[in-house]
Amino acid sequence: MLVLTWLGGLLHRRTGRMVGQSAGVALAVLMLATLGTFFTSSRGTMTTQAVRAVPVDWQVQLSPGTPVAKASATVTRTRGVTAALPVGYADTSGLSSRNAGTVQTTGPGVVLGLPPDYATTFPGEIRPLVGATTGVRLAQQTAANLGASVGSTVAITRPGQPTTTVTVDGVVDLPAADSLFQSIGVAPGSAPTAPPDNVVLLPDAVWHNLFANAAPGTSSTQIHVQLAHDLPADPGPAFAQVIGRAKNLEADLAGGGLVGNNLAAQLDGARTDAIYAELLFLFLGLPGVIIAGLLAGVIASSGRERRLREQALLRVRGAAPTRIVRLAWAEAASVAIAGTVVGLIAATAVGRIAFGTSSFGATTGQALAWAGASAVFGLTLSAVIIVVPAWRDVRTLSVHDAQAAVSTGLGRRPLWARGYVDVLCLALGGLIYWQAVKSGYQVVLAPEGVPTISVSYFTLLAPLLFWIGTALLMWRIGTALLRRAGGWLRVATRPIAHRLAGVVAASMARQRRGLSRGLVLMGLTASFALSVAIFDTTYASQSRVDAQLSNGADVTVSTAAASGLPAGIADAVARLPGVSAVQAMQHRFAYVGNDLQDLYGIDAATIGQATSMSDAFFANGNAAQTLQTLGSTPNGVLVSEETVHDFQLQPGDTVNLRLQFASDHAYHPVPFTYVGVAREFPTAPHDSFLVANRDYVTRATGSPASQVLLIRTSGSPPAVTGEVQRLLGPASGATVKDIVTEQRITLSGLTAIDLAGLTKLELVFALLLAAGASGLVLAVGVAERRRTFAIASAIGAKRRQLGSFVWSEAAFVAIGGLALGALSGLWIAQVIVKILTGVFDPPPEHLSVPWGYLAGLLVAVGVAIAVAGSAMLRAIRRPAMAVLRDL
Amino acid sequence: MPETVVRAISLVRAYGVGHALVRAVNDATFSVDAGGTVALLGPSGSGKSTLLHLIAGLDEPTSGSIEWPALGARQDLRPGPVGVAFQGPSLLPPLTVVENVALPMVLAGADEHDATLAAHDLLDVFEVDTVADRLPEELSGGQSERVGIARAFSGSPRLVLADEPTGQQDRATGGRLLEAIVTLAVLGGAALIVATHDVAIAERLTARWVMRDGALRTEELTCSS
Repeated sequence: MLVLTWLGGLLHRRTGRMVGQSAGVALAVLMLATLGTFFTSSRGTMTTQAVRAVPVDWQVQLSPGTPVAKASATVTRTRGVTAALPVGYADTSGLSSRNAGTVQTTGPGVVLGLPPDYATTFPGEIRPLVGATTGVRLAQQTAANLGASVGSTVAITRPGQPTTTVTVDGVVDLPAADSLFQSIGVAPGSAPTAPPDNVVLLPDAVWHNLFANAAPGTSSTQIHVQLAHDLPADPGPAFAQVIGRAKNLEADLAGGGLVGNNLAAQLDGARTDAIYAELLFLFLGLPGVIIAGLLAGVIASSGRERRLREQALLRVRGAAPTRIVRLAWAEAASVAIAGTVVGLIAATAVGRIAFGTSSFGATTGQALAWAGASAVFGLTLSAVIIVVPAWRDVRTLSVHDAQAAVSTGLGRRPLWARGYVDVLCLALGGLIYWQAVKSGYQVVLAPEGVPTISVSYFTLLAPLLFWIGTALLMWRIGTALLRRAGGWLRVATRPIAHRLAGVVAASMARQRRGLSRGLVLMGLTASFALSVAIFDTTYASQSRVDAQLSNGADVTVSTAAASGLPAGIADAVARLPGVSAVQAMQHRFAYVGNDLQDLYGIDAATIGQATSMSDAFFANGNAAQTLQTLGSTPNGVLVSEETVHDFQLQPGDTVNLRLQFASDHAYHPVPFTYVGVAREFPTAPHDSFLVANRDYVTRATGSPASQVLLIRTSGSPPAVTGEVQRLLGPASGATVKDIVTEQRITLSGLTAIDLAGLTKLELVFALLLAAGASGLVLAVGVAERRRTFAIASAIGAKRRQLGSFVWSEAAFVAIGGLALGALSGLWIAQVIVKILTGVFDPPPEHLSVPWGYLAGLLVAVGVAIAVAGSAMLRAIRRPAMAVLRDL
Repeated sequence: MPETVVRAISLVRAYGVGHALVRAVNDATFSVDAGGTVALLGPSGSGKSTLLHLIAGLDEPTSGSIEWPALGARQDLRPGPVGVAFQGPSLLPPLTVVENVALPMVLAGADEHDATLAAHDLLDVFEVDTVADRLPEELSGGQSERVGIARAFSGSPRLVLADEPTGQQDRATGGRLLEAIVTLAVLGGAALIVATHDVAIAERLTARWVMRDGALRTEELTCSS
């Protein structure tokens, strides 16, 4: 009964306190629910997203002599298999086509034999471009090489058999050519990884007629498999399940076939992303939730003085401590319910605005789990900020102390301060970080093809210890700065407090614990905002670098045809509007020993006109010098670090590469001189590649053809892309990509972590927290001391004089908090970026600071302080006795 | 002819509305001259504190008029001409005892050093100079009360208002305290109004006002009313 009466009184008489506390809890619940559900639903849809990107789940390569029908039956019986179709692969030593009186001939290629229902069973594998969707079809690039189109006759040269002819029914694109033509069961690097230049698709009946008697080793059969996607939502278990099923099938086939596991390969990447999603939540989400909780605690503490008086009255009237704590529980429960409900409603609204969904998870179970977890968190937080202080006060304070209800809290320094726990935390964190970085660790280790995944959780202690150490150190610095009122503080407050500087400084010195608490909250919030913003900006910056590297330039035209891009195309593109520079680049292949690598032939003197040549691309960290050396050595070549290591190369060594000559399409040795190391290069793969002088490659191979055009734009890259595509025409076989589109693809590289959405959410939360913390710290500081200000007003302090107390404290908290927050934010961002290096591609060399966002943050903090300070000064302008009567 | 320090006509201070309307001060008319010492008597809840707050300019009347002919306009009363010793804890927690007492002088524009010296003198008068450097939370109730009174005399006010100034003192100390209050007020030429339950205190002062249910009973006035 008393509980209900008490609650009624609180709701009617202490509405502000109840609303403030509920708002604080709601903010923390909002953050937890939004971030938690965001990550959970992201992770929950990872398998679905990964699976969606795989056109053929398994490619079962049958061993020579294995009966196809029997193997197909075995595959079909395998658990989870929903479709299995045999596909014939046959080598051709060349194709030719007569077109307008001339005969176009290509190099080797592959002829596929596809069942009639292949396109409908595996719709992602073949994309029809021109003509029929069944029958004889040419790959787009092959059609371009041959100058063939629908109705053309193409001659297929069969090894050991007479050449045969087919009539083209259509032209198709093969978007997943890499996996379609993968080498199954072959050690990496021992066979060409690039798909063939020339591909003909035949109906399986025709293929069998033509290649039934193919020479041994020139044809094979694969069974392409579609699986039921009833896999665990988490890609880790899904990966293990898919690997297990594949091994089971291989066992059933008893040596009759090997599984090319495209699905497992995709899930392999996704499971690493899933771990990084968890880490991102830990590093970027959880600190925000904790800070929101601290903020709620600060709001609750603003009512402590009044709560103590109420507690004293209850005790005077005989209420036992247990009853007082029970009343605090009732208050906490009310606050928790209101805060949780409001927080969850707000989370659905935020979810809808930020991610276009108001669901709390991918499934109903997830939604309920997160709603429940948020509610428990809300109740726990309310208990911590309301019940714990009440319990502590009732145990430690006498009724007289509680009645006095005012204390500067200047007792002994806390135990942690005397034990230098802050310094210990920072030192220990530094030691773990140093040890981890020094050993070149990876926080997430997911060996390719191995179901187990290891996370170095011990390393994660480093940022945790830094956060704790930083918070405590801020408190120590704050109290140390305020300890001496007579020195710098008096001087520092003079511009605001004028003649009252001494009194204001003295007042601040005695309130150093409260002010330091504000300083810590401000500092942590600023630190959180800064570290999140730097992380996000660095990620975006690296994705631009990655996009630039992947795409090569603002716009890139490329063809896989050995004949290269049409002659004169570079000049034609240079004349297009929005194009500021064009560079042609050769893209060939060369054998280094038995290793087939990409070779790029460039004009070292002018390549930089069309694309950025970053110093980071080269091992010596000097792009200009490296390119100058290459240009001045006609047969010079830049190689990868791996190649230098494998072949023990020294600058000036001769490296004999085998290049394909135009005269006979065969590979012949060509001497090059090793002049430097390239780590990255536009359009180059991440592993080994070579960069040489275009003129030398032309002379050596007898082919001047360029396969790549790098274009720097002065306008919109997508617009230039459109212009270039129009110029090339649909039958060119060339691919045109722009950096904007490429970056969009790169940003979704973390298959399930929509970092753009996360960024938006985190940055908005950080801004809100920073503005809220600064405004609230000030408002709460003043509200806590309304009685003090009322008394000061009663003895004659004018508004300006009261303002000198308020603004001096605000300046200390804001400037000190922002300065310390900036330092710790920079450091924590550095640590997080280093620890989460795995999510960056390529790893950043330095942090990117979002100056615009930080300026916005400063403005938000300034406005929040100005608004809160003015509001509080207006509030304490009420007649002093009216204020005192209310307290 | 002494100056009139404060003068009120038909002063009313009411709280609430309708049935809940309470007239804490109801139709009070009075004046106090410089040098006058008044005992404001009455039971708890009779309106003594409210009347003191109206006289100090800390509260505004619902109706009637109040003016301070010798002191100036309401906004000029504090800090300076009017000193108030509040009932209950009223010291500023983050300031030491001497800083609390010096504060009205500093707020009025005095040099901080001079104000501190003057504050020590006042603390000495009220026998609390030994705790000058302590924080309010380190004082007993009686010490806090004496520091509050010392602060009321800070800056040589011309009107001193004390609300139950000896409520937390033993009889002997209370007597000495009252003696000091009266002496300081008289020596400074200030008017003094002391709200109290204690008739013994009233006997030491030159005039008595009695309040009951908000009404200031003028028939019992003996001086300056």
